Amino acid sequence: MLTVSSLTPAQLRARLHGPGLDIQTGPFVNRLHSNIPHLAAGLALLYGDYPLRAAGGFADFHLDLSQPGGLRRWWRPQVRFEQDGQHPFKPLPVDQAQPFCEWMMNWCVSNRAHGYLIVHAAVVEKHGRAIVLPAPPGSGKSTLCAALVCRGWRLLSDELALVRHEDGLLVPVPRPISLKNRSIDVIRAFAPDAVFGSVVHGTMKGTVGLLRAPAASVHRAGEAVAPHAVVFPQWEADAPATLDPLPRARLFMRVADNAFNYTLLGARGFATLAGLAERSAGYAFRYSRLEQALEIFDALAGPGDAA
Amino acid sequence: MAGGQALRRREWDGEAVLFNDLSGSTHLLSSTAVWLLERLAVAPADLACLAAALDAELAAQDQAQHDPDQDDGPADAPIDRAQLSDLLTHLCALHLIEPC
Amino acid sequence: MSWPDSSSASLSLLVRVLRAPRTAARLDLAGWDLLLRQAGNANLLVSLLYLLEDDGLLDAVPAAPRAHLEWARLAAASHARSVRHEVACIAAALRGLDVPLILLKGSAYAMAGLDAGRGRLFSDVDILVPRTRLDQVEAALMLSGWASTHHDPYDQHYYREWMHEIPPMVHVRRGNTIDVHHAILPETAAVRPDPDLLRAAAVPIAQCPGLSMLAPHDMFLHSAVHLFSDGEFEHGLRDLLDLHRLALQFGAEPGFWTGLVPRARVLQLGRPLYYALRYLQPILGTPVPIEVMSAAAAAGAPNLALRAVMDALFLSALQPHHPSCVGRLDAAARFALYIRGNWLRMPPFMLARHLLHKAFVSPRTDATGDQA
Repeated sequence: MLTVSSLTPAQLRARLHGPGLDIQTGPFVNRLHSNIPHLAAGLALLYGDYPLRAAGGFADFHLDLSQPGGLRRWWRPQVRFEQDGQHPFKPLPVDQAQPFCEWMMNWCVSNRAHGYLIVHAAVVEKHGRAIVLPAPPGSGKSTLCAALVCRGWRLLSDELALVRHEDGLLVPVPRPISLKNRSIDVIRAFAPDAVFGSVVHGTMKGTVGLLRAPAASVHRAGEAVAPHAVVFPQWEADAPATLDPLPRARLFMRVADNAFNYTLLGARGFATLAGLAERSAGYAFRYSRLEQALEIFDALAGPGDAA
Repeated sequence: MAGGQALRRREWDGEAVLFNDLSGSTHLLSSTAVWLLERLAVAPADLACLAAALDAELAAQDQAQHDPDQDDGPADAPIDRAQLSDLLTHLCALHLIEPC
Repeated sequence: MSWPDSSSASLSLLVRVLRAPRTAARLDLAGWDLLLRQAGNANLLVSLLYLLEDDGLLDAVPAAPRAHLEWARLAAASHARSVRHEVACIAAALRGLDVPLILLKGSAYAMAGLDAGRGRLFSDVDILVPRTRLDQVEAALMLSGWASTHHDPYDQHYYREWMHEIPPMVHVRRGNTIDVHHAILPETAAVRPDPDLLRAAAVPIAQCPGLSMLAPHDMFLHSAVHLFSDGEFEHGLRDLLDLHRLALQFGAEPGFWTGLVPRARVLQLGRPLYYALRYLQPILGTPVPIEVMSAAAAAGAPNLALRAVMDALFLSALQPHHPSCVGRLDAAARFALYIRGNWLRMPPFMLARHLLHKAFVSPRTDATGDQA
């Protein structure tokens, strides 16, 4: 299968201007259109390892992130999101095109893909044991996720845990990890080899940097895995790393609170979430030092199986 | 309970989550509350009837769990009617049951 | 825009599939991509799902588009449950008043299990109550948690004095909207179908004790006047599909077609009926009996010059609005229909004042406020 890196920069820009650039992320094909050169460059850097689909097929989601024409081209240029002739969101300054693209790709999934219970959570896996990390903003989830992934954990997702109804497995949708403000420096120090896209300042979430997903995680995007644990992380200054077990009914309600489509799914969502609660051990997790956190998670992953 | 209503529930360690398919809401309830709902699903009942039945159920559970080598002291007091009434009112407000 | 015929390339892919679902069997993946986007844009994705399923075509849909249809099915089930619950809450809130309650439009189709209700997504519940009981109904709803919207005094005046409904009310906890009507056209409109006649003919909804819906003729006519008197056509194709499904379901009952034009005359709705029948046939292939079409023309056709203008406007307005659809409504046509919609609701001098107010005085707030 061809990857995005097989295109020259000129070819990639031509696809974005023309029939669309079809990139596969986990189970979804995203068709991207854009006239913004730095977005093209950003996609080449962050999505080089991802499968490239031929133009003119079926795409699950269609995203046009372009700079509108007219006077606005020169004065405070903007990037606008368009989908099927509609503009569901306000435009942003054009330098935020890359994070905007990420937010819109997330929105497409969480808005429509009801074949999964979709939880606002990171998912990582090691030794066949998958851990779901639901977390509201400010919990340090993305920093923790990035650190785990930089130390050999497989990335299934940074933002969206997809639980398949039919079998309760977690379906990967690996994409760049979005880090904010000081987390960017923390991870750069923690993993000097990590590849970041351009860092963008002044977004509604502050300064945002996108960390490229490891190639190995992207290559294994087709491997769904059973949930092993659900851990609610909370970073707290000077806290020693502690795991506190959660009763299952409480685990259920907390995950429901963090799910995008739990209410919409009704009875189906209830059943899928009950399955997740039954199969997984639930924990509240406090930590301050990444190295300690990693030890705890490695213990959760258990010993590796013999090959 | 309202006609045609089905309740889906799961219970773990004395707590339960319950899905009301009429309202689409999910509730975290005690095992006691779930027990009441299941009784009312079978047939309507009044406060006195429910209190008596709950007393009997709890006594039976105590019996089953009672360790003869330990003296746990006096048996638990009968159910507080006011608390039971409050619980029923709460369940009503959640559209799980209705007065008849 | 030329008059479409059934083979017509001037009909969009979505319309061709709605007319003949078997058309979808020949689609390649690019075709499915386009079809689903047009359907999503027209709010008809679930309707498409049911059409394919009813004709035994769903299993042959390729896996990738099929997944989207199944996702939409889950969303529709959620919507249906939400409507049932909302209607039950409304009925409970108004039970003590002993007011005749008539459900209108989408909620009526859904609660009565009509074909037109299957897969039809909508946002508000609409009810019809006698004008003399409006204050009591509004008060009872407020006691049960609904709050009025449109607090601007001009808007309040617009609704209460001129329109056929009070300002929409939103439930403070659930967030759902109820529109309480006392007639089906505004006070200020030239045509005034008598709500007492509608009420006299209303039919109880079997599954909902205490609630009624309009009689079949009146339901069809209400849908027609709602579509062809409105100024905005975002849901034009969806509303036309409602009319098509009502016509198919009721048309199978004896007396429906023969009684339709006479009832339209009584309710003064000959013009919208004429338009409905005139455009249903070429766009969706609805089998309208020839004699009914002639009678409708006699009762409600405009002069030829006006008809030519309306043909051009409506045939565009009723297409899907997706960018891929040829012949869809351009800005000038959209504006013309918007003006017409308001003109039908109020006399010219009031209209001028109203539009002026809307343009320069009222703060622009989003109807839905939705960002997602």
